[in-house]
Amino acid sequence: MKALVIDDSRTMRRIVGSLLEALGFEVHQAGDGQEALDLLDDGLEVDLACIDWNMPVMDGLEFVTRVRANPDRRQITLMMVTTESETGQIVRALAAGAHEYLIKPFTPDSIRDKLEMLGLVGSEELV
Amino acid sequence: MNDTAVDQMYAIAEQVFSAMIDGDVGPLQPWMGDVPAIVDPIVGWVDAHGGWTGRAALTTSRPVAYDLTRALLRMDAHEEVVMEDLVDAYGELVNVVGGNFKALLPASGTLGLPMVADTLPEVVGAVPMEGLNLAWRGHLIIVSIWMFG
Amino acid sequence: MTLTTDSFDFVADLVRRRSAIQLERGKEYLVESRLAPLAREAGIGVDEYVRRVRAARREADYEEVVEALTTNETSWFRDAAPFDALRTHVLPAFARERGRIDRLRLWSAACSTGQEAYSIVMTLTDVLPGTPVEVLATDLSTQVLERGRAGRYSQLEVNRGLPAAMLVRHLQRVGAEWRVSDAIQRPVTFARHNLLDAAPAGAPFDVIFLRNVLIYFDLATKRAILERVRRVLRPDGFLILGAAESTLGVDDAWDRIPVARGSVYRPASRVAAPPQTAPFVAAGAAPLSGTSAFPNIPHQGGHR
Repeated sequence: MKALVIDDSRTMRRIVGSLLEALGFEVHQAGDGQEALDLLDDGLEVDLACIDWNMPVMDGLEFVTRVRANPDRRQITLMMVTTESETGQIVRALAAGAHEYLIKPFTPDSIRDKLEMLGLVGSEELV
Repeated sequence: MNDTAVDQMYAIAEQVFSAMIDGDVGPLQPWMGDVPAIVDPIVGWVDAHGGWTGRAALTTSRPVAYDLTRALLRMDAHEEVVMEDLVDAYGELVNVVGGNFKALLPASGTLGLPMVADTLPEVVGAVPMEGLNLAWRGHLIIVSIWMFG
Repeated sequence: MTLTTDSFDFVADLVRRRSAIQLERGKEYLVESRLAPLAREAGIGVDEYVRRVRAARREADYEEVVEALTTNETSWFRDAAPFDALRTHVLPAFARERGRIDRLRLWSAACSTGQEAYSIVMTLTDVLPGTPVEVLATDLSTQVLERGRAGRYSQLEVNRGLPAAMLVRHLQRVGAEWRVSDAIQRPVTFARHNLLDAAPAGAPFDVIFLRNVLIYFDLATKRAILERVRRVLRPDGFLILGAAESTLGVDDAWDRIPVARGSVYRPASRVAAPPQTAPFVAAGAAPLSGTSAFPNIPHQGGHR
């Protein structure tokens, strides 16, 4: 399974990236929406994209919109990972085509939960 | 349950630290007693505009800022922290804390990029608002909010 | 600050005597993290806190300690399987067997801070809009019950296993927290109940959720609890356990029905074979999706 982490913060890319690696993903990174699209255009195929909202050049919402407009990219699960927590913003992201939404700060368990719900990670009984 | 702004800010700080840094509540506590001056300070701040205009800042001593960076980047206790790491990690901490503080406000708005330096640039007419003094693993971290006039 | 063996043993003993929950060696981290907030309130370390509780011998302190230790970490749709089972198996079974579903009464046992109970209501609101539903949510700890009644959760808590679409539909942000809507809160009643005692008021139930709590008890206690649960479940009702749990080897009065990635259980004393001409599956009709787990229903319509 491959994942693309898109965030202008290197720290956040590292945090999310290492959580995804621990869940068995091969992780690729991009610093903004445009960089991420370029990677996809260059042939990178991923199952999951974790996307920050506020980024320079192209923000997360725009990236989601562009990916969803492309029928060849239907298999990519899109999850926003952002501090934007207003209901209106979440609705906007879901309406644009994001499959899931994780509000920062999040714990390793919450990323795991979301990915389990999306069927990208097997469930494991944790007591 | 009617929380004061400071209670809500504390709840946010607790969640950010437990989720991103410590893995649990415990290491972050309210600061008890007198607040000493911070020696060799590092300050991270983020400004909001387009609705509510103001600033949230986190100030601590340099060694503590380095420790926070190490914790965020999952580095070893004695690994060297370069300036780039400090600015990015401490800045992201400020970004997440500031972003959640912004969510407490009725007016929407956007956050600028987080900045990190050893002094806070002045903004003329800035009015100090709520403040919160925290103890992280016993070390002082000062949270400050200003509203821009 | 770290818990001494002596202090741990004292806490484990206290908890076992009052709740039958076993805390074995190895669970020190759990005790430390659960007691940390209480210790913090007193301005001291966890071990010091335990020593003081022990020395003071106050009932109120004992209760606080037991409460802090007997809550479960909760996620909303923790392990989607039970909620999928509700949708794809339990509710269709009721619809088919009863003819129609007039109302439903469910019990979320060991409900902790209430996320499971509210997730149940959200699922039912989705699948059976307009059907009157009552959910009884019980737990040993008054502290978590108060939290459940308040229906307010932190940002971290709503990140745990709650689909974003459900979040925006059924919760509203209030300050630094999120609050469950009135429509979802209204059907839920929170009440204090010890699983070791007789069943709570509100019987009989159509579905009982008893997830990830039996693991804390020894075999004899597990059996006793399952017997008490069965007595307050409708004969055609369903029991839902945690993903890694089973009645197998514990209580043989249940039929296990595999459903997707998990199982649900029904009292073994109920009528096993449904009538041959089940009106819900008419000739030529496609079976309901997900009903391939019905071993007794003749597959009409030529499908799989």
